[in-house]
Amino acid sequence: MIQLTNIWKRFGEKQVHQGVNLEVRDHETLVILGRSGGGKSVLLKMIIGLLKPDSGSIVVDGKEVTTLTYKQLQRLRFKFGFLFQGAALFDSMTVGQNIELALRRHSDFKDADIEERVQYALELVKLKNVEQLMPSNISGGMKKRVGLARAIALTPKYMLYDEPTTGLDVETADGINLLINELKTTLGVTSIVVTHDIHSAFVIGDRFAIFENGQFIMTGTKDDIRNSPNPEVRKYIESEIET
Amino acid sequence: MTETTNDPSLIERVAGLFHRPGRSILNFFEHLGRYMSIIGWMLYNFRNAKEYSGNIMQQMVMIGNNSIPIVLFVSMFVGMVTSVQSSYQLYDWIPRSVVGALVTKSVLLELTPLLTALVLAGKVGATITAELGTMRVTEQIDALEALAFDPVSFLITPRVLAGILMFPILVIFGDLVAILGGMFGASVIAGIPVEAFVDGMQSSFETWDAFFGIIKATVFGFIITSVSCYQGFQVQGGSEGVGKATMNSVVVTCLSVVVMDFVLASVLL
Repeated sequence: MIQLTNIWKRFGEKQVHQGVNLEVRDHETLVILGRSGGGKSVLLKMIIGLLKPDSGSIVVDGKEVTTLTYKQLQRLRFKFGFLFQGAALFDSMTVGQNIELALRRHSDFKDADIEERVQYALELVKLKNVEQLMPSNISGGMKKRVGLARAIALTPKYMLYDEPTTGLDVETADGINLLINELKTTLGVTSIVVTHDIHSAFVIGDRFAIFENGQFIMTGTKDDIRNSPNPEVRKYIESEIET
Repeated sequence: MTETTNDPSLIERVAGLFHRPGRSILNFFEHLGRYMSIIGWMLYNFRNAKEYSGNIMQQMVMIGNNSIPIVLFVSMFVGMVTSVQSSYQLYDWIPRSVVGALVTKSVLLELTPLLTALVLAGKVGATITAELGTMRVTEQIDALEALAFDPVSFLITPRVLAGILMFPILVIFGDLVAILGGMFGASVIAGIPVEAFVDGMQSSFETWDAFFGIIKATVFGFIITSVSCYQGFQVQGGSEGVGKATMNSVVVTCLSVVVMDFVLASVLL
């Protein structure tokens, strides 16, 4: 379980988080909805210790992330897979090297096992014969899939998705949504998805948290969101109807 | 009659005078502190370097092998111009063999290490900053951390080690070519016989001179690679941030090299 309590974070003059509280239950997919540039991605980065909150508590499986030593933090990160907004593939490495990098560094697998794991990860994201390609030679949708394959290579317990469908056409975005759902069923991961795409959110999410002005203004199921009278929440529902 | 005015008071004007330099000084120490912190972290985790030996080899090729043509080209012309100019300036005053001594001393002690460093600050330093800066803005460095890698050990240590190892080798090659260039310039352009040039060279040669140049190259290699890596790591924003950091990297490394050149000469000579 992941628990965020009273998180405050400021970047320069901008107060990004103002007492954020959030609970992510095991095996659920929680979707964080909010405007671009509002600080949703920063929350994901704080959960795995890439950024530190100015104050507040982040607890992952009973461990307080904000007080962990560097080594403890690195061990905690084994539990997480992170799909970055632009996939963040290492552009000096091939697709295969991107996926096997963490396996070679953090596991005792032999070459044959690593190859097998890479194939398995690629199969899960529905890609074939791309190991030798460079990231610059594949499409945006494929990059997201490779990023996903890299994230799941170490079979994480938690998956963090930062805008997984942004910049993709509808068909490719639907494919990514389908994959997120499949990974949840196949690997049983707990997922947090940050997005401003309400359509995708309703396809993949079990619960939803609406982030506005540095706080969560509402957390609930699809029905809770749809029936909310809160005008800030209604904006999202109306945007879904428009699309 | 009272006169109302919006002009700042004398105290405000004096305070304003100190505002900009004060901010610049604070900014300088902030960067210095961050740089030292990264260097400290790199040294503290130095034992991890062997795990990234593949990266070190890759960087040695990038910094060393790929820089050989430009270093040799520059060194050749540095040697030639030194011999031609010293012949021109001192022709009537000194025996001809002194040109060989002058070229050898200048090349070993100062010209090859310094000019090689300045050229590589542009070539290697800019490449490193642009590469790491792009990795920063495209979240590749965050991705490394998310995969439980230490980005300093993975990205900075191999580059700095490669710089420390390869700069002296480049300077040794540069020294040889510069002296050959000097010999060529002296004999073909200035009309000094090769024998006279070699005589001067042999009579003035001291092992310490060559060793001093190698020490300088090692220090310059460290400065250029570490500062460039730091600049790349600190990039903020998009491509504009990468461009700005790359420019800063070249300026800061060139200035640091020139200052350190003076410090080393003062301390070691």
